[in-house]
Amino acid sequence: MREQIGRQVRLPMSRALQIAIQGIRIRLGRSLVTVSGVVLGIAFLMSNVAGQLISSSLAREKETRQIVTLMESLTQREVGSASGKILAVAVCGAMNRTEQLFLDRLDAMPFEAIRITGGRTKRGVSCTPQNVGAGAYLLVVLGQDAAAPHALGDLTRGMTRIGMLDAVESRTYAGQAPEGVKRDLLFGPETEQQMARMQEKAEQAKFRTIWVAVISLLVTIISISNALLMSVTERIREIGTMKCLGALSSFIRRLFLIESALVGFAGSVVGMLLGALIPILIYGWIFGFGLMFQELPYLRLTLSCAGCVVVGTVLSMTAAIYPANFAARMVPASALRSNV
Amino acid sequence: MAFNRELFFENADASARSGFVIRAVDVHKVYRMGDTEAHALRGATVDIIRGEYLSIMGPSGSGKSTLFNMIGGLDKPTEGKVYIDQVDIAQLDPYELAWLRCRKVGYIFQSYNLIQVMSCIENVMLPMAFAGLDGEESREKALHILDLVGLGGRALHKPSEMSGGQQQRVAIARALANSPDILLADEPTANLDLKTGEEIILLFRKLCNDLGVTVIAATHDLKMLKKSDRIMWIEDGMITQVTTPDQMNLHEEEVH
Repeated sequence: MREQIGRQVRLPMSRALQIAIQGIRIRLGRSLVTVSGVVLGIAFLMSNVAGQLISSSLAREKETRQIVTLMESLTQREVGSASGKILAVAVCGAMNRTEQLFLDRLDAMPFEAIRITGGRTKRGVSCTPQNVGAGAYLLVVLGQDAAAPHALGDLTRGMTRIGMLDAVESRTYAGQAPEGVKRDLLFGPETEQQMARMQEKAEQAKFRTIWVAVISLLVTIISISNALLMSVTERIREIGTMKCLGALSSFIRRLFLIESALVGFAGSVVGMLLGALIPILIYGWIFGFGLMFQELPYLRLTLSCAGCVVVGTVLSMTAAIYPANFAARMVPASALRSNV
Repeated sequence: MAFNRELFFENADASARSGFVIRAVDVHKVYRMGDTEAHALRGATVDIIRGEYLSIMGPSGSGKSTLFNMIGGLDKPTEGKVYIDQVDIAQLDPYELAWLRCRKVGYIFQSYNLIQVMSCIENVMLPMAFAGLDGEESREKALHILDLVGLGGRALHKPSEMSGGQQQRVAIARALANSPDILLADEPTANLDLKTGEEIILLFRKLCNDLGVTVIAATHDLKMLKKSDRIMWIEDGMITQVTTPDQMNLHEEEVH
C-alpha cells in the first residue's frame, strides 16, 4: 500500500531548465519585449564603456588634433579672410605629425595661392627660399630644426605684410632680422590655456556619461521587472495548475529565475555586440581604422565586454526576484480562481 | 479499451482498504473582500468512504467549489479541519502538500486548465515529471492513458487545436497520470457527447471497483448521478442531504 504522506523531491535543475527553455521558445514574441529592454540598456552601457576605452587610447591622437585646430584658429585670426591672399610656407627640417596635419589644414584654407619651400602640399607651388615670400600676406615656418638654414631677410622678401608664425620658439635665423618683423608662435601660452579648458570640458562630459549610464541601467531593471510581472500575471493559471500537479514553490521560483537569466544573457550578448560596434565604427571613421585598430586596448576591451554581459545577466535576475517570489507564493486555489 | 493494469497501477489493492479517506470536520471558509466578508462554507462536515464514487450537487454559489478546494488540499479552511488519510492537512509542510497534490490526488477542473504551450502528451507527462518519472517510461504511460480516454491519435496536438470535449479528456488523462488514490472532478462530463460521457463514467466506475480509487465528482449529469454510490447535496455552505441514487430518482425533474 502506498505510504501515507510522502515528501516531494526537489526536481533537478535540468528539468527546470528544460521547462524554462520550452516556455521561452513558445512565448518568443513576448520574450522579445523583455530582451529588447536588456539589449538597449546593455548596448548603451557598452557603447559608453567602449567609447571611453577607445577614446583614451586615441588620446595622443586627439590631443594632436586639438593642437592643430588651435593652430588653425590662430592662423585664421592672423589672416582674417583667406581669399585673395597668398600664403608663404617655409619648411626648415623634418616636420612632426602635428605640423603635417596643420599643413593639410592650410592647404584646405581658401588662400589665393600657397608658396612653399622644402615641403609638398596639394596646392602649394614650390619655390626657392629667396622668392617664397613674393606677394605673400603671411609667412608660416614649420619644421623642427632649431637653426634655420635661411635668413629672415630672404624669407620675408616681397611680402605685402611682414607677419610670421613660427612653430618652434627657440628657432634662430641666419643673418639679421629686417625691420618690423612680427614673429608670433604657432603654439604658445595662450593656446596652452585653451587646451586646459578643453580638457576640463572632456572631464565633465565623462562624468555625465557615467551618470546617464547609471540611470539607463536603473530604467532597464525597472522595465525588465515590469515585463516579468506582466508575464507572471498572464501565467497565473498556469502556475496554479503546476502547483496542483505537485510543483514545489522553489521550483516555480527557479523557473522564473532561469527564464530571466537566459533572456538576460541573450539580450546582454546582443547588446554588448551592438554597443561595442558603434564606437568602433564612429572612431574608426574619424581617426582612421588603421590607427584605431592599432591603438585598441584589446585586453581591457574584452574584459569590459565580458563585464557588460555579466552585468546584464545579473541585472535581469535581480529584476526577476520580486516577480519570481510572487509567483512562487501563490495559493493554487486563488490562482485558479483568477479571471485572467 | 484495453486496461493495462500493471502499467497503470502499481501496488493497488482495493480490498485491503477501508475507512474514510477524506474527512472534513465543521469546515468554515470566509473570504474577506475589503470591508465585507463572504462565508463560502459554514460548517460543512463530510465523510468520504475510501473507494466510493461520490457525486456532489449544489447550485452556483453554494460553496461547492470551495468545498472541493478544501478536500483536495488546494486551500486551507478558516476554521475546522480536513483529514486526508487521517492526516490533518493544515499540519503538512510545503513538501508534503506538494506530494499530496502530485501523487495522492488527481484534479479535473471545469475549465480544464491545460498548459496551452505544451502538447497533449506533454501535459499528461508533466505531473509524472514532478513525481520523478521521466523519459521513455513516462511517455509510454502517458500514451496509454491518452488511449484510455480515446485520444491516442492526438498526442502531439496542442490544446488550442482541440475541441472542448477533447480538452476535457486530456484533463482527465492528466489527472490519472500518477495513479492517484483520490480523483476530484469538477463537471467532468459537461462538454462530452453522450457516448464519450458514458465511456468516461465507465472508466471512473472501473477505477473505483477494481482499484479502489475514490472518485468525487461535482456534477449535474444524470448518467453520472445514477452510477454513483452516494450523492451529496450542498447549499449555502453546508451539506443538506446525503442520499443514494435510488432514493434520488423521485427528484429527477429537480436535477436541473
